[in-house]
Amino acid sequence: MKENSEQIIDKSLKLAVCFFIASAGLWLLAAAFFAYIASAKLTDPFFLSSFELFTYGKIKLAQANAFVYGWGGNSIFAVTLWVVARLAQAEARGKVLLLFAGSIWNLAITFGLLGILDGHMTPHEMLEMPVEVWPALFLSYGIIATLIIVVHRSRRIKDTIAPQWFLLASLLWFPMLFLIAWNGLEIDAARGTVQSVLSMWFGQNVIWLWLTPVALGSAYYIIPAILGRPIDKYYLAVFGFWCIASLAPWSVVHHLEGGPVPMWIPAIGTVMSIAMIFPIAVASTNFHATAFQDINKVWNSLPLRFVIFGTLSYTVSSYIGVVFSLPAVAKITQFSIINEFHFNQRVYGFFSMIIFGMVYHMLPRITGKEIAKSAKSFHFWTSAFGVLVLLLAYLIGGLTHGVLAQQPSLDWASSVISSVKPYFLITEFAFIILAFSQLVFVINVWKAIIPSPFELLNKLSLIKKGAT
Amino acid sequence: MNNLLKFAVGIFLTLAFAWLAFVVGARVQFGDLSPISESLDEDNEIPEDADLFPMPQPGLAELGSSEYLALGCSTCHTQQVRMVESGFDVERGWGKRPSMARDYIYQKHVMLGNTRIGPDLTNLGTRILDPEWLHKHLFEPQAVVPESVCPPSPFLYEQQEFSSDHTIDLFDEENNSSRHLIPSSRATRIVAYLQSLKQDYELPEMAFIEEPDAIDLEEISTSVSDLATNEMNLESSALPTWLSQQITSGKEIYSKALPGGGMCVACHQQNGQGLPGAFPPLAGSDWVLGDKERLIKISIHGLQGEIAVNGEKYVGVMQGFGQPLASPLDDQQIADVLTYIRNEWGNSVSSISPEEVKAVRDSEKDRELTSMWTAAELNNFDN
Repeated sequence: MKENSEQIIDKSLKLAVCFFIASAGLWLLAAAFFAYIASAKLTDPFFLSSFELFTYGKIKLAQANAFVYGWGGNSIFAVTLWVVARLAQAEARGKVLLLFAGSIWNLAITFGLLGILDGHMTPHEMLEMPVEVWPALFLSYGIIATLIIVVHRSRRIKDTIAPQWFLLASLLWFPMLFLIAWNGLEIDAARGTVQSVLSMWFGQNVIWLWLTPVALGSAYYIIPAILGRPIDKYYLAVFGFWCIASLAPWSVVHHLEGGPVPMWIPAIGTVMSIAMIFPIAVASTNFHATAFQDINKVWNSLPLRFVIFGTLSYTVSSYIGVVFSLPAVAKITQFSIINEFHFNQRVYGFFSMIIFGMVYHMLPRITGKEIAKSAKSFHFWTSAFGVLVLLLAYLIGGLTHGVLAQQPSLDWASSVISSVKPYFLITEFAFIILAFSQLVFVINVWKAIIPSPFELLNKLSLIKKGAT
Repeated sequence: MNNLLKFAVGIFLTLAFAWLAFVVGARVQFGDLSPISESLDEDNEIPEDADLFPMPQPGLAELGSSEYLALGCSTCHTQQVRMVESGFDVERGWGKRPSMARDYIYQKHVMLGNTRIGPDLTNLGTRILDPEWLHKHLFEPQAVVPESVCPPSPFLYEQQEFSSDHTIDLFDEENNSSRHLIPSSRATRIVAYLQSLKQDYELPEMAFIEEPDAIDLEEISTSVSDLATNEMNLESSALPTWLSQQITSGKEIYSKALPGGGMCVACHQQNGQGLPGAFPPLAGSDWVLGDKERLIKISIHGLQGEIAVNGEKYVGVMQGFGQPLASPLDDQQIADVLTYIRNEWGNSVSSISPEEVKAVRDSEKDRELTSMWTAAELNNFDN
């Protein structure tokens, strides 16, 4: 009976979730393409240089936006919708509306990226897409979020658990952040560096309050679901949640250390960044204490292997992030390519890896088709290797960059940047591996979603036979 | 947390606190800064007829800032000179002072940036005065900075076969040929914008930073003229070149860290007053103005234990600069820095020559370089 009701729920979700995952995959490929071009341009500045469309700065922004809004946004919708419906034991409503809003979301991002490539970007972090597309994005987001909340509110069990907190909070935070930023940057535009504070606050919070909670919520859902055992020290989760909620929005501005803003702004940011060790410790205790009780099962289940890779990466690099927010260290690393390390670690090593795991967990249940283990395994190893190479290159390269930049006697181009060039080459190599890995992922996903033409023909002929 | 509405209000409040501080608070505090004069008068008012800074951007530069944004230049170039304690931007020569919030009030697009793959551009307009250089760099950065990783923007220029008044000529040594560029209006705007980038004025909240090892020539010439009138009793304030050179080099050694410097300033301070109770003063000190030999010995071997300077007691350790450090000071350098401290902050006595230092070094050949003097030892010897 229970099995049956889950199948009914999955069936009601099939169309929307498949749509979101399929589009997320395409955006992931687009981002990989941009990432490769950008890294290739750093190793050879003449690469594609005669095309204005492919200016390094634009490609870099297009990559970040395709990644966060295209891949991130779509996969957030898919994962949140499915987990919320599963936990609520309720069917999805408004399937057509979901598809409609999802199409608008993807169209708006397409126009937004074209706008960036055409030189119509805004100077605001993670709001670079031209102002015209944002109302459409906001509207479609609103429709999707409302429909997810409708599912949540029709839940059978009144008590909520950790995955629901994180997923719903992320769902609600994004529009709040957006409205605040939109008001301060476009409607009633602030002047001077107040703009910079606000745009940095928004840009960093998109990562911290939108992508991060979804990944954490997914981990809270999938680890007990696959292992069949409760989260260890679950009572800490509520503390971890409210810590992130109250500290993250403060901590993100530490990147303005020493900049042209009043000193209290980066100072508060630094203090709160250090306080972030509490929620990081809670999440990693919850995840890893549970996972390491049955590490064999984790290793043998590919979705879980992806997720634990993500949570380990979250723990390690969040602590690294805390160290890099200390003023003495920030002095060295502040403007170096360590920033790329932070971004890629968070959206790639952490968020994407968990989403990959979630997708591999969800898809067979929704479509009823298993994805070949060897294909998943290939995806895991190439991703893990690519991410590690990429992050190490950015980390070591960033430290080199930062330390050399602090020596006023060294010439900028011929000494400082020349010493970082080998690391640019390594990142180019890593992005090629990652592009392959992502291609495998997308093929895996699309194969599961799109019915194979032969099967369709078979079915058709069966129907015909039945008719005659 | 089961009631969605209460939950939503809760997570909104956590966000709203930070929003109050960073958005509302920041706006109230520095959202409506106005231009101001370089310094204020005694009543903290802007003096009449004073120029107000920052000045609005010229129209062409403002158009250029939109082109700069559209090309994505701010992905690799920051436009902020950090506080002295947060980085070496001033030392690198990227600005005479850290950037302040007030500097940005007239900018249409504020592009502080967060990564420096290229150099900071806050004061590019003061560093690069030649617009042709900027055009060449924009067209093909590697033509002027061979190692640059900056992507070329040939699409901003038209090329023609021959040189004329309107072209910028780019000579290529390898092929022994020239390219003749005609900048588009967009290129002209961008260059106008780049040239407008300068924070070359002081603000009441932030004056120019003097680099610690920069030599203030004006100050030296005054102390030198004091010296000349007081000691040599000459009518002309001209000073022998060797002496002013010694003082100039000594001042540098005084403030500079190793190698080639003694970093004396760390303990004895810029004003030569030391720190009461911790480090003895040099200004007016009986040890500095007194016996030369004693002073040279301390400089070479160092000094430890209790010492009385002008009647005040100090206990501590001073390293010797003849000791086998990473790079010990040589005779000339010790002579220079001692001459400097004997002729600064109102001190005005005879100079010390490298020969005198060498003589002391030779007479103490048997003493280990690491064995520091004590005050008792020095004074006994003195008697």
